[in-house]
Amino acid sequence: MSKVKELEIKNKYTGEVLRTIPADTPETVQEKIKEVHASQNLLKEMDFFERAQLLSNYASKLRFKKKQLKDLIVAEGGLPIKYSEWELNIVMTGFRFCDWYYQFIEEKTLTSIEGEQFVRIRYIPHGLAACISPRNTPISLPLYQWGANYLVGNAAIVKPSTACPLTMIEAQSMMEEMNLPALEALNLVIAPGNWAVDEFLKSPLIKTLMTITSSHTAKDILVRYANILKKTVDKSMGVAMYTRPFKNFFFECAGNDAGIVMDDVNLEQVAKWNVMASYTNSGQQCFSMKRLIVHSNIYDEYIEYLIKEIEKLKYGDPTDPSTDIGPLGSRKILMMMEVMVADAKKYGCKIYTGAEKIDPGEDYGLFYKPTLVEIKPELCEDLTDAPFLWREEAFGPVRSITKAENLKDAIKLANASNYGMRAVAYTSNLETIETFKNELEAANIYINARPMLTDITVALGGIKDSAYPPGCKYYPQELVYGKYIYDGTPISLGKLK
Amino acid sequence: MLEEELTSQIIDQQKFKTELAKKYTTFLSKYPEIFSDLISGSDFDFALYDSIEAYDNRSPVDIFNVYCNDHGIEIRPGRADDSDLELALSIKAVKSLIQTKNKVEYAQLLGYFFNNPDEEKGWIDFILHKRTQILIDMGYGRFARTAGILEEDDDVYSI
Repeated sequence: MSKVKELEIKNKYTGEVLRTIPADTPETVQEKIKEVHASQNLLKEMDFFERAQLLSNYASKLRFKKKQLKDLIVAEGGLPIKYSEWELNIVMTGFRFCDWYYQFIEEKTLTSIEGEQFVRIRYIPHGLAACISPRNTPISLPLYQWGANYLVGNAAIVKPSTACPLTMIEAQSMMEEMNLPALEALNLVIAPGNWAVDEFLKSPLIKTLMTITSSHTAKDILVRYANILKKTVDKSMGVAMYTRPFKNFFFECAGNDAGIVMDDVNLEQVAKWNVMASYTNSGQQCFSMKRLIVHSNIYDEYIEYLIKEIEKLKYGDPTDPSTDIGPLGSRKILMMMEVMVADAKKYGCKIYTGAEKIDPGEDYGLFYKPTLVEIKPELCEDLTDAPFLWREEAFGPVRSITKAENLKDAIKLANASNYGMRAVAYTSNLETIETFKNELEAANIYINARPMLTDITVALGGIKDSAYPPGCKYYPQELVYGKYIYDGTPISLGKLK
Repeated sequence: MLEEELTSQIIDQQKFKTELAKKYTTFLSKYPEIFSDLISGSDFDFALYDSIEAYDNRSPVDIFNVYCNDHGIEIRPGRADDSDLELALSIKAVKSLIQTKNKVEYAQLLGYFFNNPDEEKGWIDFILHKRTQILIDMGYGRFARTAGILEEDDDVYSI
């Protein structure tokens, strides 16, 4: 169990040590949890719109420090500078217009069959949340988790990835600079290794655990909580009574999104968007378009366009504004890409482009060239025997492509997945569009969409193994519960007085 | 209404505190079509600041509001009575904006100052006074795109 006291944060491209920062220990994590919990009432002293206004003001602060934040994101995250723009814009937009989320948690009145209105549903924050963020987004996801909790009135502890915590530390100091009210109810935990998750699970003060992680890690967290429950079981009454309470678990997990290209669209345009959607941030995105399903009528022609676009991608120094592909986040990702491609080769899959690594032998400057692998459709249907690249998330720049004979075939292939985050389809046929909307098995369907949207309506979550609970969409609505209040005073008070 | 039929009127221009605000309002009055996405009754402030610190303290050197009526716009000194939002601009940004040759160039520069805020070169920002959904319904989202403040997503990040 690693419980180091200091962490060296390195530049992902050059290996230069950017900063050495103090790391938390199990004791300091528990201390922070207590402090934050003790301050959570400060958030309740403000209403939703006051908190929303403060987050909106904070979005201005972020914008004025955009250059500084972008430099940090690029250095510690390895994200190309032009992608860091999107990374910041998505969270700045979310914060700027965060009162928009009120529509999901606004108190509602229910009308009975007899027309009476004695019932109200009031949305109450769950309480202290622990949030764990991944390495691929140094600021957008951890800050979004933080902001969503602040907005609805939950205290929160956020654990950014220890591979890239500096941007969030800077974001926190910007909150301090602007004297953000109730900041005591928020804190960061800088903790390497899985033990931090156990500290969150152990603490009875933490009501919600939200993570953005792989589906397998998410399931492991559930198993670990089950083990904690087991250890505290009381059998003194002859039946097993679990003394630990339920926790709320919100997992936004892996995606293995299908991208369908039908034979009635501008292939050159779609190929451009496809490459952006598939290889942005070196493909290290849960919502990246990973399994390409192309109509047989245009399959060969589309592949030509696609390869042309893929081979235009420039990889290298992420500070160069013309760089499209930055270094990978870790050696583990590089190894995973190699394993997936090697596995696909065993199935006789064709490699159209890429499949080469750049490995200086260190833990930085690691690249895998954007890769396109053809998987025969007959290999895709049985998920127990499909190539690893088809059945699991390729969290790097390797993408699969397969051929669909018709619409029905395309939908069958798209749905042949254990994941269901997003599905993307391109067609100009209005009837086909409706079929996609109805039959694609994903929580978020994008039809003829440009990639990398920053609009406030962009949703999170998925179905199948892409999210738990299935279908969660916007954190603010997941971080509250609906309290049912029946108030019969108007008709009963006279009888009771 | 056709763009060329839109009117603009500057009211009490002598009441503006600064020459820069007078020049800027004269400039804006040439392009009432920039505001054509906003519904009649929309009213918002343009606040000019000489530093980010002054902006943090909400102490503009001058302020005027643009009111959208059925025929075009009215530009008035001071804050709107019930302002929808405040568009905050640094003096340096305004000095550059009024040098632009046409509304396309103006929108591009406004977008540049929004997306690349810089104390030295210039910056713009905005503060919402009403709920986002209300402002969307009033047309401010479309206005922001026309005015160059919101970019097409493809422009924000394009390979």
